[in-house]
Amino acid sequence: MAILEENMKTRGIAEQVSTFESGNEMAAMAAAQINYHIMGYFPITPSTEVAQYLDMMKARGEHDIKLIPADGEHGSAGICYGAAATGARVFNATSANGFLYMLEQMPVQAGTRFPMVMNLVTRSVSGPLDIRGDHSDLYYALNTGWVILTAKTPQAVYDMNIMALKIAEHSKVRLPVIVAYDGFFTSHQKRRVEYINDRKVVQQFVGECPTDYNFARDLRKPVTIGAHMSGDDFLNNHYQQSEAMYNAGEVFKEVSAEYAKLAGREYQVLDLYKMEDAEVALFLLNSAAESAKDVVDQLRAKGIKAGVISTNIIRPFPAKEIREALKNVKALLVGERADSYGANGPNLTHEEKSAIQEDRNNQTIVLSRVFGLGGKDFYATDAEKFFAMAIEAMEKGYAEKPFDYYGHVPGNPEKILKPVIEPQYGDAFKTGLIEVGMDEESNKLKVKIPPLRALTSKPKRIASGHGACPGCGIFAGLELFFKGIEGDIVVLFQTGCAYVTTTSYPHSSHKQTMIHNLFQNGAATLSGTLEAFMELKRRGEIEVSEDATFVMITGDGGMDIGMGSAIGTALRGHKLIMLEYDNEGYMNTGSQMSYSTPMGHMTSTTSIGKTQRGKAFHHKDTAQIMAATNIPYVFTGSEAFPQDLIKKGAKAQWYAQNVGTVYGKILITCPLNWKSEDRYGETIMEAAVNSCFFPLYEVEQGVTTITYDPEAKNNRIPLSDWLKYMGKTKHLLKEENQPILSEFENEVEKRWKKLKAKNDHPHL
Amino acid sequence: MSILPNKNELGFFEIRLESIGGLGANLAGKMLAEAGVLSLGLNGSNFSSYGSEKKGSPVKSFVRFCEADVEIRDHSPIEQPHVIGVFHEALYKTVDVVSGLNADGIVLVNSTRDFDEIKTDLHLPYGTLAIVDALTIAVEEKTKVNTAMLGALFRICEFLDPEAMRNVIRKTFEKKYPHFVEPNIRTFNRGYAEVQFKTFEVPEGAEGKSFVRPLPLLGYNTQEIGGVMTAQANSILKDLSGSRQGFLPKLESEKCIHCAACDTVCPDFCFVWEAGEDKRGRKQMFLKGIDYQYCKGCLKCVEACPTDALSDLREMIGYADDNRVRQNFPYVAGGIS
Repeated sequence: MAILEENMKTRGIAEQVSTFESGNEMAAMAAAQINYHIMGYFPITPSTEVAQYLDMMKARGEHDIKLIPADGEHGSAGICYGAAATGARVFNATSANGFLYMLEQMPVQAGTRFPMVMNLVTRSVSGPLDIRGDHSDLYYALNTGWVILTAKTPQAVYDMNIMALKIAEHSKVRLPVIVAYDGFFTSHQKRRVEYINDRKVVQQFVGECPTDYNFARDLRKPVTIGAHMSGDDFLNNHYQQSEAMYNAGEVFKEVSAEYAKLAGREYQVLDLYKMEDAEVALFLLNSAAESAKDVVDQLRAKGIKAGVISTNIIRPFPAKEIREALKNVKALLVGERADSYGANGPNLTHEEKSAIQEDRNNQTIVLSRVFGLGGKDFYATDAEKFFAMAIEAMEKGYAEKPFDYYGHVPGNPEKILKPVIEPQYGDAFKTGLIEVGMDEESNKLKVKIPPLRALTSKPKRIASGHGACPGCGIFAGLELFFKGIEGDIVVLFQTGCAYVTTTSYPHSSHKQTMIHNLFQNGAATLSGTLEAFMELKRRGEIEVSEDATFVMITGDGGMDIGMGSAIGTALRGHKLIMLEYDNEGYMNTGSQMSYSTPMGHMTSTTSIGKTQRGKAFHHKDTAQIMAATNIPYVFTGSEAFPQDLIKKGAKAQWYAQNVGTVYGKILITCPLNWKSEDRYGETIMEAAVNSCFFPLYEVEQGVTTITYDPEAKNNRIPLSDWLKYMGKTKHLLKEENQPILSEFENEVEKRWKKLKAKNDHPHL
Repeated sequence: MSILPNKNELGFFEIRLESIGGLGANLAGKMLAEAGVLSLGLNGSNFSSYGSEKKGSPVKSFVRFCEADVEIRDHSPIEQPHVIGVFHEALYKTVDVVSGLNADGIVLVNSTRDFDEIKTDLHLPYGTLAIVDALTIAVEEKTKVNTAMLGALFRICEFLDPEAMRNVIRKTFEKKYPHFVEPNIRTFNRGYAEVQFKTFEVPEGAEGKSFVRPLPLLGYNTQEIGGVMTAQANSILKDLSGSRQGFLPKLESEKCIHCAACDTVCPDFCFVWEAGEDKRGRKQMFLKGIDYQYCKGCLKCVEACPTDALSDLREMIGYADDNRVRQNFPYVAGGIS
């Protein structure tokens, strides 16, 4: 962090330093200063950076927070809950469907009254998927029982993160707190920010971690946490919660005033801009309110009494203050970045209306507009239009259209999407050049494939023009696998790079039918699709070719968060293929570690520094986990061994059609995040195989066969000959990291020897 | 006294950088903004266009400067900048890089070409054009394009202090990579010194380049419900040649043995095959050429090629168009040919 001494400033009591940072950086900064005990997290855009910055700071020794990379947001919420119930100080950050995935845990945390702080970096909820910012995730938080602070700027993100913990732990509150700020607009925009120079001052402000509650922490005082209740007790519990929530509103004011004395920045319950005499006003949450203030200045210059109301806290909802602020307002437009479909206005519209309803003299006309969904920008001209609508209502004395969307366009009928190519199906993907048959004697499949040259006559399943990075390994790997499959495929892509780069609306790079679902659930989804096809076919309602093959495509991230779904699918034995492209990290969200990241490898959440050296534990052996479900066919493959991979594609198709579930893992390069040269993709794969890090093998009906043995071919190379190609592993070749490299080498050797034993013994 | 040469009605001096992912425009924007905010005490903000864009896709980075006492509330993209920096020349085939430029604004382009050619390509009637050959500087110094571009941008933004930037470069590298300090300082200095300017006189009452906020292709009457698409494979209409960073594979057919090793490793399905007969009259597939519209220049094929039929080529403007062999997709009748 670039800090210059002359920028040191003193305002309030605490000495402060100016810096130039984003909202995510400031959330991480506040957490590091507080020095929380635990952060359980799972990456999701745009909140991911919070964990990344904390990891970076941790590598530099700047805090001691134990950062726990969960298997998904549900897992992260579990980690946080368990730690909070133990009396630790707990922190988390998430967004959008990550928040929804942990949603069921939110009321558990609130209802059992264990404080923690979570940053909700607001983003639109799927589907369709959109990674940019709106408030649709935040609106799901409204009923969870968490206190919710809203932070408009990176400065407010920092300040509120410090206030949040103090509010959460306050004896009158004892509730978890969300700090919500706008994804990208606030999370990623860098601004000048001031922060308290000495973390001890921050720690003194938040105070000692309370120990006098009934936590799990003291085994001399055993407790039961989470007993179940019936209505009589449950209602009383919730009354306590409700009271605590209203108390949080009062405590917010106290803490805010105290913080103002310390830091010189004060956050009122409402953020009112020129509302004293305003006749028309906009109510907007977070960053959009800031843009609208500029427009207020312009309107005021023209003599229009305009103002903006925004909040710094929305749970509890500041009804009294709103009522007060709207006393003389003639027309109010509530702009919301989310909808409550069918409710004749989103949530806050109704909360505004109900706030003023209690003032019998209030005459304010309320308009409600849904705007800026999915990160659609909010320009000054949009605020002008909002004011124009409010002014019109004021002049007319009523709202012509109380509720509407804003910014939607009908579209030009001439530009309707038309097919570009003839539909590609069936025979288009049949070469007749691939023979697959069961060898009765060995009880194994025999596959004959022609030279690769002949197979160039087969069209690719994925179209050119996709948006992957130059040198991306995904598509070479997928297409080689698809080459082995004859006839139709139905594919499901779980969220990940392969999905994102092939389906950027209104463009698709898929020739055959593709379904997307979120990556914790693709295997289950395709199970449903497959069974529906079969059932519709059985009843004679559709025709499906005999060889239609169902393939679920996932990254290694999808096999972390979606492991349960994948294992469930395998155990049920649906006749489909799960194909994992493993690039050793969550590359779509910016290279966070996955469980498949090997030991010592650098990612954005396994930084290299004085206190840590890359990933701390070994890579997940997903192929062996899936083999343990006893499905008929499991394989590994790589683009560097094309014939091997094509044959495995053919076998996978046969088993998926005739027996049951298939799982395959192909290792692929990610030049961007492996920090390797684009051109060496295949060379790096070959080295990964020849170093025995990634052995090529298959488990057919429970029997393991190594399909390419680098030792037998005299091609085995040391692990370091693979690692030397990648910037993410260069440090492992240094003398000082020899112990980590050795540990990694030992693990690779151990797994290789086990595999050889399995290869040699059909009963293993 | 203001040090900012120009301001819009909200008091901002605005810079927009146009680039593709991977060239470091985002970092350059951040360093530019930090130089103003942390060294000169200006207020400022910096952000990028956001999305799932990968390396090689068009990206923008924005910098706003204003006086220390001006509050920055606007967080929307910069539409009418005072300075535009184009990091990647090929971009202006697909992106209107000078959209909204102020009449007396400055465009900096990373190019080896001359002023008049670029002025024509950008449809720039007047204003100041600045050219720096950042790629050559970066190649010669074994550094990155963005450092050379930063040098040129510091020259354009005269109010910034280049010595402060040199200090940032020193601080960034000296601890972990001390051998990077000198080449990067040299790259920055060369960008600063080698940028050339030419001003095309701004007529009285001239207006800036107009800008249009693009409408989506589809609307609520024309979008299929649920976002379902039936125009399968329509990404073949896209031109990805702008993703290349100066190099492409060159095919010499006479040396080709049609082994398909290139086809196997190509992430973008650029290799075009055709059925034919070999010398003995047997049916065979033959590599016809490369469809450069989709080639992102990763050069994996050059590595995979067992002969020297494929080799690296520093891309000259026009080569790809002249040597492109089109993929033979089964276009719908009456569709795009």
